[in-house]
Amino acid sequence: MTQERVLVVRCPTLCTPEQGALEQGALEQGALEQGADRQAARLFERVVSAVMEFCPRVEVVEPGVCAFAARGPARYFGGETIVATKIAAAIARFGVDGRVGIADGMFAALLAAGAATGDAVTFIPPGATPEFLGGQPVSVLDDPDLAGLLHRLGIRTLGDLAGLPEADVASRFGAAGEKAHRLASGRDMRPLDARPPAQDLSVTQEFDPPETMAEPLVFAAKALAERMHATLNAKGLTCVRIQVQATWEDGRESSRLWRHDGLLTAVQVADRVRWQLDAWRTDALGEGPGGVVSLRLTPDQVVRATGQQLALWGEAVVTDRVARAAMRVQALLGHEAVLRPRLGGGRNVSEQVTHRPFGERGELGEKGEFGEKGEFGEKGEPSLPAEQPWPGRIPGAAPAVVYPVTREATVTDLAGQPVTVSGRCVISAAPAQLAVGTGRPRAITGWAGPWPLTERWWDPDAASRRARFQLVTDDGRAWLAAVSDGCWQIEAGYW
Amino acid sequence: MPDVGVLPVVAALRDLLPRGGLTRGSVVAVPEFGLLSLALAAGPSADGAWCAIGGIPEAGVLAAAGLGLDPERTLLVPELGNSWPQVVASLLDGCELVLFRPPTRASAQVRQRLEATLRRGRGVLLVAGDWPGAQVRLRVMAQGWTGLGDGHGRLRSCCAEVIADGRGEAGRPRTSWLWLPAEDGTVAVADPADIPADVADDPAAGAATLRVVNGG
Repeated sequence: MTQERVLVVRCPTLCTPEQGALEQGALEQGALEQGADRQAARLFERVVSAVMEFCPRVEVVEPGVCAFAARGPARYFGGETIVATKIAAAIARFGVDGRVGIADGMFAALLAAGAATGDAVTFIPPGATPEFLGGQPVSVLDDPDLAGLLHRLGIRTLGDLAGLPEADVASRFGAAGEKAHRLASGRDMRPLDARPPAQDLSVTQEFDPPETMAEPLVFAAKALAERMHATLNAKGLTCVRIQVQATWEDGRESSRLWRHDGLLTAVQVADRVRWQLDAWRTDALGEGPGGVVSLRLTPDQVVRATGQQLALWGEAVVTDRVARAAMRVQALLGHEAVLRPRLGGGRNVSEQVTHRPFGERGELGEKGEFGEKGEFGEKGEPSLPAEQPWPGRIPGAAPAVVYPVTREATVTDLAGQPVTVSGRCVISAAPAQLAVGTGRPRAITGWAGPWPLTERWWDPDAASRRARFQLVTDDGRAWLAAVSDGCWQIEAGYW
Repeated sequence: MPDVGVLPVVAALRDLLPRGGLTRGSVVAVPEFGLLSLALAAGPSADGAWCAIGGIPEAGVLAAAGLGLDPERTLLVPELGNSWPQVVASLLDGCELVLFRPPTRASAQVRQRLEATLRRGRGVLLVAGDWPGAQVRLRVMAQGWTGLGDGHGRLRSCCAEVIADGRGEAGRPRTSWLWLPAEDGTVAVADPADIPADVADDPAAGAATLRVVNGG
């Protein structure tokens, strides 16, 4: 099997201590924390973009090292050595020490680039790779244990190793030995992983002098949206959400994500920018934030455009009017301020209804599809299945008032003593008075309970053990109360 | 032929309201959030209208669904924030019925602005709280639960006396005895014979009871 010709660019000064293949995305996001490393990463990013002038599909192998398949560019530029020389010259312009190696296969090319010849370019002609590898010491295998062992056995070079029968090496040294043998004989088959890099698809408009009027901003937003849509369309892409960022004169920034799903027109995007700016102005009462210095639209979660299918049945179709209203409110109060309820199962009144922010597509369970676990965290609890029986559920009509956070209460008997419930669910005395929070006490005219409920006893953090009561007070109201750890709580009210 | 100028309400509430429903562009007020306000919102929602519930984090959606409210066509805005008049106005642009509790007292100016928005959008504003100038005002005068004894039983249904009055065509007070809720979670008109004696005897409700019985 013939090996692919691979060109490797290695910048020894930019090889950061972090080992292992880092994704280019991680590099771009500045995942390398230390200042010096970050600077090296930034410099290397420039090297990579310079290399990409020669070949668009470049794999970043590890910090300081990138590679691409040499065949195409070599044909275009008229020879492998010519490409290599041009790249070396391009890198030298940044003042970075760059070594270029060309060989059959990635392993050999990496070694060639790392070879400490004085020359910037190490060229191993096609077919000469086994010879080149044969001269390398076994220590290049990046497996110190195996290399040490081979060394003690008198196998000093890859050539020595490659000369042994593969089956014997495999039976003596196992999988690691087999892999080493394959590398040593120039049969490394790891394909290049050259994905086109994550591109910056955002569009920005600067305003100098800062723009204070809404209309020109909205107009600029429309033009920006048109530009962004054109870029996305040309690549056959669409985005799930769009981020609108406005930077104000005083340095503050307003940033908001809007649902896009490839459905918004430029005018609709401009509308959202208008709402967002309105909301910002309303929030910053008093000290005005001044004008806007820059407006930026970034497509978020870019996906391949596959066309849109509108729901035929099932979920009520959100009309444009409702969507506009909901999004205006979201512009004022934030994405999670507008919720759509969903009925589910559960034993407690508070868990039978779950909420999802308006505009979130589909069921809560599908959220993983967008990889947004953290963002809508607490509201995004999965709802419990409604169709299953929930023994221990309070029967009868549901309460109209369900407190999101239970209210503290005091329940006393006729003698004025607090009513307690024992571990065996025996009540100390009939409850006679209920005081909710700091309110006035109400006389209890009817009561039922205790109904014990022990939930999730297997999980110490989520476990709860409660005794629940229904109480009716003299004002005609009914209450759902629970005793837990000796404290009375009002969970819900019926009125 | 149904009146297009009103949003329909559940059958049991029709007799309480002038024109048998919620007049579009009007403000309907209940003094406090409770099942009555959810029951008023349930009719329009069941009929296909979008409803928003604002500033009432404790609204029991399950109870509302039992009354007929469609959760699929409901928006919840649990906290309205400081610029609540703007939020409510935005909700009125999209929803035909907005049930909300003002977080702060509404000034006359704020009320006028919202009422103007309301008339443009032909929706209904259902206020759980004080709203001078509301066209219709409903309140529960007396209520009593059945089913619960002294240490036994469970809540089954609630018999409530509801009075509606207001301005203009709603000026004449109307009274109804309702099961709010009935045992199946819905609202039904209570037969005078079924009204529990202890509720009807409530001194605060005595006069009203007489009116209902006399009026048939």
